[in-house]
Amino acid sequence: MGYAIVQTLNALSFSALLLLTGLGLSVVLSLMNFVNLAHGGFYLLGSYVAVLWLGSGAPWWLAFPAAFLAAGLAGAVLERFPFRRFYARPHLMQVLLTYGLSVIMADLMRWGFGAQILTPELPAALQGVVFLFDMPFPLYRLFLIGAGVALGLLLWLLLDRTLWGAVLRAAVTDRGIVETLGIDTRHLFAAVLVLSAGLGGLSGALGAGMLAAYPGLDEEVLILALVTVVVGGLGSFGGTVAGALVVGFALTFSKVWFPEFANVVAFSAMAGFLLLRPNGLIAPPLRQI
Amino acid sequence: MRDIPLSRAAPLAAALLALALAPLLAGAFHLRFLAEILLLGTAVMSLDLLVGLGGLVTLGHAALFGTAAYAAAIAALHLGGNLFLVLGAGTGAALLMAALMGVAIMRSSHLFLLILTLLLGQVAWEVAFHWREVTGGADGLRGLPPLSLGPWRLDGPRALFLLSGGLALAAYLLARSFADAPIGRALVGAREQPLRMSALGYSIPRIRFRAMLAAGGIAGAAGSLYPFLNLYVGPQSVHWSLSATMIIMLVIGGVGSLWGAFLGSAIYLALQTYVSAYTDRWQLFVGLVFVLIVLLLPRGLAGGLTGGLAGSLAGVLSRRGRP
Repeated sequence: MGYAIVQTLNALSFSALLLLTGLGLSVVLSLMNFVNLAHGGFYLLGSYVAVLWLGSGAPWWLAFPAAFLAAGLAGAVLERFPFRRFYARPHLMQVLLTYGLSVIMADLMRWGFGAQILTPELPAALQGVVFLFDMPFPLYRLFLIGAGVALGLLLWLLLDRTLWGAVLRAAVTDRGIVETLGIDTRHLFAAVLVLSAGLGGLSGALGAGMLAAYPGLDEEVLILALVTVVVGGLGSFGGTVAGALVVGFALTFSKVWFPEFANVVAFSAMAGFLLLRPNGLIAPPLRQI
Repeated sequence: MRDIPLSRAAPLAAALLALALAPLLAGAFHLRFLAEILLLGTAVMSLDLLVGLGGLVTLGHAALFGTAAYAAAIAALHLGGNLFLVLGAGTGAALLMAALMGVAIMRSSHLFLLILTLLLGQVAWEVAFHWREVTGGADGLRGLPPLSLGPWRLDGPRALFLLSGGLALAAYLLARSFADAPIGRALVGAREQPLRMSALGYSIPRIRFRAMLAAGGIAGAAGSLYPFLNLYVGPQSVHWSLSATMIIMLVIGGVGSLWGAFLGSAIYLALQTYVSAYTDRWQLFVGLVFVLIVLLLPRGLAGGLTGGLAGSLAGVLSRRGRP
C-alpha cells in the first residue's frame, strides 16, 4: 500500500514537471500556432541559472524568479529575431528554424556552463524526506507537485479568466478585428512568447532538483514535453494536463513493473495512445482526411 | 523511347565521371569519407521521398537505417560477409520496419506524425541498446567479417567507395523513377490537396504506406553497407538524433531535390570532420549554417543553385534566341 502510494506520488511529481514544461510549449502552439523546439533550451537555461543561484548563497526562493527572468529575456531576444518572421510560416519551417536555434543554444550553454553534471544545493527547507505509510518520500518532490498544480492553476486563470487572456484568445481567433479595437497584437504575441520561455526556465529551475542539469538534458526534456503536448492533443489546456499524467505515469510505472525494458514499454504505450487517438486524447472533433 | 532531357543527363554524366575519377585521385582516408557521404546521402535521399514529396516529416528514419545496419551486421557475423546476403538481410529488415511504421503513420499527420515516428524509432533504439545478447548493447557489434563477392574481398577503401557509389547511383535512379511514377505524383497530390485526392478515389493511407516502403527499402540498402565501412555498428545508428541529423542534411542540401541530399550530407560531414579538428564548437557552426540556410535559402543549396543556374542559363538562351 505504502509502496503504491509512493510510486503514485513519484509519477505525480514527474507529471507536474512535464505539465509545467509542456504548458510553455502548448501555450505558443495553441495560441500562436508556433512550434518552438528551442523550448528545451529555455528549460536548460533555467536549470543552470537555478543551480548557480542556489550555489551563490543568495536567498534560495529567488532562484525561481531569476530563472523565469533569464529564460524570458532569452525568449524576448529570439522573439524579435527570428521567431516573429516565422509565425505565419508552415510548421515544417518553424520546426527547422527552432531546431537549429536549439542546437546553437545547446552548444553555447555547453561552452558557458561546462559539460559536467551540475546538481543544485537544495536549501534546508526542501531537503530531507517525509514518511508516508512508513515509506520515505523526498520532500522536494512534494514541493514539485504543489508548485506544478499552483502554477498550472495560475496560468489557467490568467488565460481563461482575465481580460488580458480574453484579448489574447480574441486575437488568436481574429487578429484583424482586435487590431481595429486599437490593440497592438504584435506586443501581445511577444508577451505570450516571453511568458512561454519564462515558464520553460521556471520549470527548468524546479526540475533541476530532480533531474540536475547537463548538456543533452534540453533535448530529453524537449522530447518528453512534445510527447506530452501531442499525446494530450494540441490546443487545449486539459489536453496538456492529460498528456502530462499519461507520460508521467507511463514512464514511472514502466520502471516499477518492467525495469529491464522500461522505456520500450513506456514509449510503446504512448505510441499506442497516438495510434488509437491520432489527434490526441482531448482533441476538438475534426474531420479526418 | 522517351528523351532524357539534357538538364538531367548532364549532372548524371558528371556524377559518373566523379565516381570514376575519385578512386584515382583520392587517398584511403578520403575514399572512406566519400563512401560515408554517399551512404548517408542515400539514406537522406530516401527521407526526401517522404519529406519532400509527401510532406511527411518523420523523426524515425534512423530506425530504418540502423535496423538495416544491425541486421546486416548480425547476418555477416553468423553467415559471413557475402555482399548479396548482407544487402538482402539489411534491406529485408528495413522493409519490415518500414511496413510497421507505414501502418502506424497511415492516419497521422503533422506534429502527430513527427512524434509517432520518434516514439517508434526510440523503441527500436531501446531494443538495440538493451538487447545485449544479440546487439551487443552500448558497445555495439565489432569484428565483422569484410564484405565479399564470390572470390573477391571488398574491404579496401577503393572497393568500398565504388560499392557505395554504385549503390547511391542505383538508389538515385530508383528514387527518381519513383518520384516520376504515378505513385510519386499521387504522393505529391496527397500532400498538396488531400481532400481532392481522396475525392478522386485515391487512398491516402495506401499512398503513404507505399512511400514509406520505398523510402525504407532505399534507406535499408544504404544502412546494410554502412557497418562495413568501419567494421562496426553501434546504437547511435538507430538513435533519433541521427534522424534529426538526416533532416539537417536534407534541409542544407535542399528539400525536394533528390540529389541535394548528397550535397547536404557532404557539407554536414565535412563540417563535422574538418571544423571539429580546429574547435570544439563545431555544433555551433553546424547550427549557424543550418539556421542561415533556413532563413536565407528555404529550398536549400540545391534549390538555390538550380534557381540561380537555371535563371542565368535561361537568360543566356533567351538572348541567343532573339533575332
